[in-house]
Order: sequence, then structure tokens, then C-alpha cells
Amino acid sequence: MLNRRNFLKLGAVTATTTVAGGACLSTQAAKDLPQWGNKDFSPTTGKSRKAIPSACWQCVTRCANMGYVEDGRLVKIESNVNSIRTEGVMCAKGQGAVNHTYDPDRILYPMQRVGERGSDEWKRISWDEALDMIAARMKKNRDAGTPEKVVYHYGRAKASHSKTIGGFFKAYGTGSIGNHTALCEGGKWTAQELTWGGHYDNWDFDNTKFVLNFGSNVLETHTNHIPTAHRLLWAMAEKGVEMVTFDVRLSNTAAKSKEWVPIKSGTDGAVLAAMINVVMSEGLYKGDGEEFLKYTRVTEDVNADVPAKIAAIKAGVKDYTPKWAEKISGVPASKITALARKFATTKPAVLVSYRGLVAHYNGNEGERLAQLLCAVTGQIDKPGTRMKAVGAGWKWPKIPSAKKIKKLDIFDGFPGQVAYPTHHVAETVLPMIKDGRNGRPDMYIMYCWTPAYANGHIGEAIEILKDEKLMPFIVSVDPFYGDSTMYADLILPDTPFTERWTAEDMVDPAQIGEFYIRQPFTKPLGEARDFSDVVFDLAKRLGVDMGKAKSHEDFVRLACENTPGVKDAGGFEYMKKHGVWHDKNATPQQQVYNRPVPESVYKAKGVVLDKASGVYWKPASEADAKKGYVATKGAYKKYVAQQMPHGVFSGFAPDKVNKSGYLELWSPLLKAKGFNPFPTWIPIPEHQKMGPDDLVLTTFKHAAQTHSRTMNCKYLAEVYHNNPAWINPVTAKARGIYDGDRIKVTSEVGEIVTKARVTEAIIPGVVAISHHCGHWAYGRYASGRRAPSTDEERGDRDFKFKWWTENGVHPNWVIPNSPDPINGQQRWMDTVVQVTRV
Amino acid sequence: MTTVSTPTMTRRQMLKRVGAATAGVTVVAAAPMAARAAKQEVRYAMVIDTRRCSGCQACSIACKAEFEVPLGAVRSWVEHVEVGKYPNVERRMLPRLCNQCSEPPCVDVCPTEPKKATYKRKEDGIVVVDESLCIGCAKCLEACPYDARFMNPFKGDPVKTKGNGVADKCDFCLHRISQGVQPSCVNTCQGKARIFGDLNDPTSAVAKLVEEFDTTVLLRDKKTKPSVFYIDADYLEAKKDPKADQYFRLDTHRKEASSKRWS
Ligand code: SF4
Ligand code: SF4
Ligand code: SF4
Repeated sequence: MLNRRNFLKLGAVTATTTVAGGACLSTQAAKDLPQWGNKDFSPTTGKSRKAIPSACWQCVTRCANMGYVEDGRLVKIESNVNSIRTEGVMCAKGQGAVNHTYDPDRILYPMQRVGERGSDEWKRISWDEALDMIAARMKKNRDAGTPEKVVYHYGRAKASHSKTIGGFFKAYGTGSIGNHTALCEGGKWTAQELTWGGHYDNWDFDNTKFVLNFGSNVLETHTNHIPTAHRLLWAMAEKGVEMVTFDVRLSNTAAKSKEWVPIKSGTDGAVLAAMINVVMSEGLYKGDGEEFLKYTRVTEDVNADVPAKIAAIKAGVKDYTPKWAEKISGVPASKITALARKFATTKPAVLVSYRGLVAHYNGNEGERLAQLLCAVTGQIDKPGTRMKAVGAGWKWPKIPSAKKIKKLDIFDGFPGQVAYPTHHVAETVLPMIKDGRNGRPDMYIMYCWTPAYANGHIGEAIEILKDEKLMPFIVSVDPFYGDSTMYADLILPDTPFTERWTAEDMVDPAQIGEFYIRQPFTKPLGEARDFSDVVFDLAKRLGVDMGKAKSHEDFVRLACENTPGVKDAGGFEYMKKHGVWHDKNATPQQQVYNRPVPESVYKAKGVVLDKASGVYWKPASEADAKKGYVATKGAYKKYVAQQMPHGVFSGFAPDKVNKSGYLELWSPLLKAKGFNPFPTWIPIPEHQKMGPDDLVLTTFKHAAQTHSRTMNCKYLAEVYHNNPAWINPVTAKARGIYDGDRIKVTSEVGEIVTKARVTEAIIPGVVAISHHCGHWAYGRYASGRRAPSTDEERGDRDFKFKWWTENGVHPNWVIPNSPDPINGQQRWMDTVVQVTRV
Repeated sequence: MTTVSTPTMTRRQMLKRVGAATAGVTVVAAAPMAARAAKQEVRYAMVIDTRRCSGCQACSIACKAEFEVPLGAVRSWVEHVEVGKYPNVERRMLPRLCNQCSEPPCVDVCPTEPKKATYKRKEDGIVVVDESLCIGCAKCLEACPYDARFMNPFKGDPVKTKGNGVADKCDFCLHRISQGVQPSCVNTCQGKARIFGDLNDPTSAVAKLVEEFDTTVLLRDKKTKPSVFYIDADYLEAKKDPKADQYFRLDTHRKEASSKRWS
């Protein structure tokens, strides 16, 4: 929505240049004020504030940052201008993190429950008492041969946190380790693992000329948010790159797009299928598409030549005409055709997709269709397109696993429910514990995990957490009095990330890889301790071997000393001083798949060719070789190379499943489980049976909040604390609803009463409610519920000025826990509801 | 368009002088500088390129933290406006802050004698509040047509201000720019939508942007001559905004939607 006159004047004035350290500053601004940041001063005394390079953790993006400390107090957080990922900018959430440290509702001491679960009655105990209690249960289970009954369930544990905490539990002997990825975007990852192996796609906005976006709100929220979002904004402003966004709602990303294309919830796959149809019927695959198809599998025959592949794709998509897709999606056929042409012919163009595409019943197929559109246009894994991502490859200190690891089978959905839960099925863990057929934990340890708030069907989750027969002992590791933590038996006061060490590794959009660390801005308050440190103490009590490291800080230090590059730059001391390091001589990674593999490698001893898949691999035994690559458990770990009609290539190496080295869009794995091997449009069953009064409930995120962990930050809560339901005026009017009315939203699992935001910025037939709000705990700013024994203001002079009284309503009360049948992704966008005026 | 005069002092000299003056106890202690500077050599300004703004609020939060701005108050904020009719609906983002007006009504009404507590710095045009002089009368809050001021209960002498606190507002991060560092909101902005510099230096980014682009200021008719310029916000000065006629929703993300709006 650019002003044309101004648009034409772009370029000259906003030309950018790279200055030392990689930060990209506009030349003129740099001359005006030589320093972009990494320095701050007290506004009252003018004194320089102490700058400590570290890393954000508000969202999973984990940007390098800089904390400023004045008189021992953390006063400000900014970006680290030397980061090649963020290029010196930061989002609202990262800025608001300054509130965590001094949140008056932090838990500062280990607390033991004394009243009923959820009664808010606690007593303070010592760390020794708390750890003895946990160690005693762990010993008891180890002695009884049931270590798997010690369940460790985390929401976010990345990089060195994952290595130390996960490492400890595996060293002890339990494999009962749960995560939350299916609630996030795990389905997208599984679809990528089925197609091009190791997950994560980087959208190369630095080099692209056109952005086609299916359901990502990348400018407000993303798993690699700021590193990608700022690049997209710059590309749009400085190079006139256009973005077209498909979404049910005018997100800020849609608002910044050249065009917002409203689309019926859950039908993005149909539009993608029709775009492929256009590309195939108009011959737009010629050239780059044909070249890339050499590396793509679209038929059963792994030796098919390109013309045969083209014929197979044409046959596969022949019914997916733009007219057909228009009926399903509401997007005009002419628009689908025009956008397909534009995407196919603008080189390079990038296809973006996220939860709008994947958090549905048909999400796996949606993402596979996205991969297919990229393949047939050749808009894949080269600069300016959707690329295989690059992170930092740390050399971690080893923590030896126990010889035998036992595991409760409660993390992958009910038997037969999910075909390939490569990122587990978080939303069915509590229901499976309730069900009990696969066993129950004796101790359930939650780390950075709030199952009651983060899953669907909140009412059921709370009941399960409260039931001591289902869950005999719950430990929560939490810096704050969280919405699930309040139902625990024991709370370990974790440090907020502002008081932690970590060696970090998140994806770098520059395709190089940035190594960075998190270090404490200030000493932990009270008796708070980083759980990654606590596990070293537990290990001592249990006689568990944690390898060389003595603490988490020590683990991070060893990682810095062991990792080539980081080590040569000065290791731990360098990282503490600078926070970030990258290889200045590295070239951006691209086209991982087309490197010829020499005969010496694929003809090496022990390597065999699996004829059915064309994979060269190293089977562990004769029996495995006989069984074949696809049918052998864990065969993907033995992948060597891929035979293709034109040679033997590195291919898209498999990561979690036994796929071939092609971009695999004819999947024997899906076929084996009864799904169509070729990417397919699948209607959402519930949406086929909708009555005239029914609406689809979708969810979304706001730029100033993360899903569930930031409403305690007062500055962020002040900007966003209430989440009225978005509803189109036409849809509202039919129900007699006016802006600001109280409305009831009812689904098969419950009902909520919230307020209506009647807005033109949403498609009719949908009601959209954001996450973040409706906390029932998490402190005085989030809900009014205070942490145990913190009546004092704890120096928070602001609370008396809190002016907002509404904290919003959480949509998860009415969203059932329901996985995508292929990958286990929680279906956030599929719930059918009725909306009435109260 | 603004007249661009050649600066008589180099940037380096200027920064040195301002820096020396602010090295004291408080920023407002830089007041004596005003007397020494004969004429305004520097005019600090901000260009807000709304094309580059995603409405993310990082600037609002950065500012809040930089100054520990009390809840309920803002020095900088971002307004979102939805206009149009489905499906042709837009959301426009408008980052806001004090305009550092060249003819500031807030200064006109400040009653303190012999020196005004709120005044415009001659050396760079920033409108500041000397908290040691402010009597907490809040007249300047009333006078500002942009709702850019608030009473800060954490500042000032409770007796002198009768417990009202002192007037407070954006000062372009004087404590940072005087030491050569970008303002806090500029530093964080992911789009680099906020561009700061000296409008009187023709080689500066702000001067070039104002020169090259059609810019808009808020409430031009109030004749305050703002030093904050907007790129691609022409609709603010359009006689009639057809889109706004259809549907209009303003989210200020502030405690109260102010009655003093820009339209
Ligand atoms: S994108 Fe995520 S990690 Fe980066 S600053 Fe924002 S909240 Fe922090
Ligand atoms: S930080 Fe920049 S992009 Fe974000 S709202 Fe402020 S001006 Fe806009
Ligand atoms: S915007 Fe308001 S406070 Fe700022 S200088 Fe102008 S009148 Fe004064």
C-alpha cells in the first residue's frame, strides 16, 4: 500500500551499506550518529550503563541482545548490533523482557504445596529438602526398574539447556521426555522431514523479488521472527519487493503486503494445488522447474526421467483447477492464476507458509503442496527462495546416556492416531495419562511448560492436573507462578532467562550460522536457580555421570572451548565479551542437494544400493539390507547418497524418517500408512458438515506478546492485555452482534464469554481470538493472582498505576485437543463454533 | 519544504558541547547552554517512514524501559488505524512522539518565572522540561495539541509540585544523542522506520528525506511547525479520506484514546 509517488523515489536515499561488525546502517544515519547502539546511559545522571552481551529468550527465535545494568540493576535490553541475525534491531517482546527480572510475582524460593492442589497454599522449603524429595522419587523408580515413570516434560529447552537437562534424564535412564512442538508448528516440520529431510526453511528475503505468503504473520511473530521480519521490511521498502498474503484476517503482515487475499480457513492447500495446476498446464515449469525436477521424486519409479515426472505431476493435479479452488477457498480463480504466474516467473520468489497453512487437519498436505509448488517452479534452496536453513553447529560436551533407557509411550498420540509424530503429540499427553493404558508418571516434571494453558480443552487439563490418582507428584520448574505451576506439588524457582547461561544456535537467515551465548545480566534474585544447573546437583545425589562439565556455565564454557572457530576467536572469554561469533570467511549455504558424490564414497565398504528407493546406505546387518532401506527402523541414520538417472548426489539427506535423497513428493512412507503418496487436497471433515449458524474459530498472535510467557511483563501487558473476538460486520449482524457486545462462543468441548471486535479486517464466517490473554495465574499483571508469599510490592512502584481491568479470555477452553492424522500437529484453526450475543 | 541552512559548527564540535553540558547531574541541567548558544545551529528532527513500520510497538516498549515511564503514561507510542471496507481494508501504522515543535504551544503557556520550566533548547531545538523548575501545574499538557505530555509522579519535588509530579515527554533521548548514540526507539526499530538527525545539516539522512519525499506533519493548521515528519501518511492531510468514511477504527494502545487526535 505504497504511495506511488514516493515509491518511485526509493533507492537513493535509503541505500544501505554494511559497516564493521556486519550491522547494516543507512549511510547517512551512520554519519549523523556514529553509534547505532551497544551503549546506553542513564537519563537521569548521564552515567554510562554497563553493557552485557547476551541473548533473548522471549520467543524461540532467541536473538542475541545487550543488557544494560545500572547500580546492579537490569534497566534496559536492546539488540546486539554485531549480530548478523538481527542486524541490530529488536522486537517489542525482546524489549519488554526487562520486566521479567523484577516481576513482583517471581518465585524466589522452593515451595511445597500444603493445601489442596490449586489452593494457593504453600510453604517455603530449602533447596536441599526440595532436591532430596525429587532424588528420593528418582531413586525409588530406578530401584524398582521403572525409571520411565519419571517424566520430564518441557515447553522450551533449546541448545545447551536441552543438552544438559535432557542429557541428565537420559543419563538417569528415562526416555519419557515430552515437548510442545505439536502445539507450535511441529506439523510443518514433519512435512518437511517427509520431503526434504531436516526441517526448517529459511525465507531468503535479502535476495528475493517476490513473496507469496500462506498463513504466516512473520512481521508480528515467527519462530525466527526478528531475523527474518526486519529483512522482509527492508526488502519491501528498499527494493520494492511485493508480498501477497493469504490469511483469514488482516494481520499486520497482511496489512503491510501489496495485497491481502482473504481465504476461507483451512483451504490454503486447495489454492496451492490450483497454482501447481496453472504452472503445469501453462508450461511454467520449463527451465528452472525442469532442472529441479531432476532432484525431485513424484512417482513410485525412482528412476523416472523428467518428462515422466512432468506427466505424473500433471496427472496428479489435473482436477485442481483454479475454478475448483475458487469454490473451496473463496479466492477468485483469476487471482489464483495470476499469482501462480507471478510466482513462477518472478525469479527468485519465496514461498512462505506457517500456521495458517499447517495448523489444520490437512496441514501436512498443505506444506507438501507448498514444497511441490516450489519444486515445479525451481523456486527452492537457492538465494531468494525458500532455503534449507543454517544454524550454529556447536561441539557439545558429552553426557553419556544410561545403558538402558525406558520410556512411557504417552508422547505420540493414542494408538493409531498419528502416522508420523516426529515432533510428538503434546496435546494428547495429558489425555493419555488420564486414559492410563500406556502407563502413568510417578513424577511429572514440568520445565517451562504450562500444559493447562498451552493445550486445548483447558477444563480437562486442569482436572487431570488436580487429580492425585492420575498424577501422584507434580514438580514445576518455573520463575513465575504459572497457570499450571499453581497445580504442582513442588515448585523449583527457575531463573528467568535474564539470569542464565546458554550456548545458543538458532537459524541464521544470512545462511552462515551465528554462534552466540546467553549470560546473566545480574545475579539470580532470592534463591532462584537455573534448572540446567540444578540437574548437576541432582546427578550428584543420584550418582549420575554428567561428563566433564560441573555446572551449566561450565558446560557453556566447554562448548566455547571445544567448538572450532569459536575456540580460535578466543573461546569463552571472547563470547562473554562479544556475545556473538560467526565465520567471516564462510559463504552462504545454498543448494545442498546437487553435490556429486564420488564413487569412493558410495562404493565404500558396507555401502549398498537400495533399489526401491535409489538410496545408497550402510545397513547395520544383512537382515536390514534384506528388509530394505524404507522398512528398516532408523535406516535414515545410515543414508550415504542418492542415485538419480543423471548421477549420484548428496541429495536432500533424510533426518527423522526413511525418505530417499530426492525432494520426496511421492512418499512410500505415507503410502504405507494409507495416505496418498502424492500431495493431495484433503477437505477438513468438520468443515464439510457445518450448518448455517456455524463459524470456524481461528487463533493468532500479537506482536507484543508471546503465546503464554509474557503477560507478566507489565510494559507488554499495557500494550496488549485484552483479546476481543474479531468478527466481520456481516457475520456479526446476522447474529445481532455489535462492536463491544458480550458474546458466547460455544464448541463441542465448552464455551467462553468474551467481547466482540466487529471489524472489516476479517473474512466473514470466521471468528478469530488471539492467544496470550485470559491467564488465571502468572502474577498480578497477567491475572491478578499473586505468587505465594509476595504481598510486598517488591520494589515494583508501577503496580498502583495499572489501569486496565480486563485480562481477556483464552480461546483454548473451547478448542479440542485434536491432531493432524499424519504428523500430530494440534489443529488450532479447525474448531467449529456457534457465536451468540449474551 | 524546510529551508536547509548550512551549519556553522561541525557535528563533532556540537556533540562535544552538548556532551559536556549533559555530563552533569541531570539532562535538564544543560539549560545554561541555551543562554550561550546564540542561534539554533542544529535542528534535531525525526522522519518516520511509515512504509517501513510494521506497527510492532518495539519503539513504544523501548522508550518505556529506557525512561521507566510509569504505567498509564507514554513518551512514544504507535497508533493503528483500520479503514476501508472488506475486503479492501487497510491498517495504517502511525508511530507517535513529541513533535519538538518549532513554535511549541506547551512552552508558551508555562508560567514559571523568571525561567520557563519547559523550553525549547536553542542549540538543537529539542523541547525539554527542567524538572527542578516545574511546579506541576499541567498547563502544558492542556496546551499540547498532540497529547504528547504527561505528569510523571516519580519525578520532581512533591512540595513544589503539590504532589502532581512534573511534566514529562519525549526529548529525543537527549542523554543518548548527546553521547553520539541513536535514540532508543530508533535503535530497536526493525524496519528502520524512524530516522533521526539534524535537519539543518543538508548531508543528513533526515534532511535528504525531507528534501526528496513528500512528507506530512501532524495538525499543520495548528502552526506548531513540527520537527517530526511522516513519509507516506498523506491521508492525514487529505481533505476527505474516502476510506475513513466507510469504516474507521483507531487503536492507540494507550490508557485513553485522547480527544486530541490528528484528525
Ligand atoms: S524475535 Fe523473539 S528472540 Fe528476538 S527479540 Fe523478539 S522475542 Fe526476543
Ligand atoms: S519499532 Fe519501528 S516498526 Fe515497530 S512500531 Fe515502532 S516505528 Fe513501527
Ligand atoms: S508536541 Fe506537544 S509537547 Fe511536544 S513540543 Fe509540540 S506542543 Fe510541546
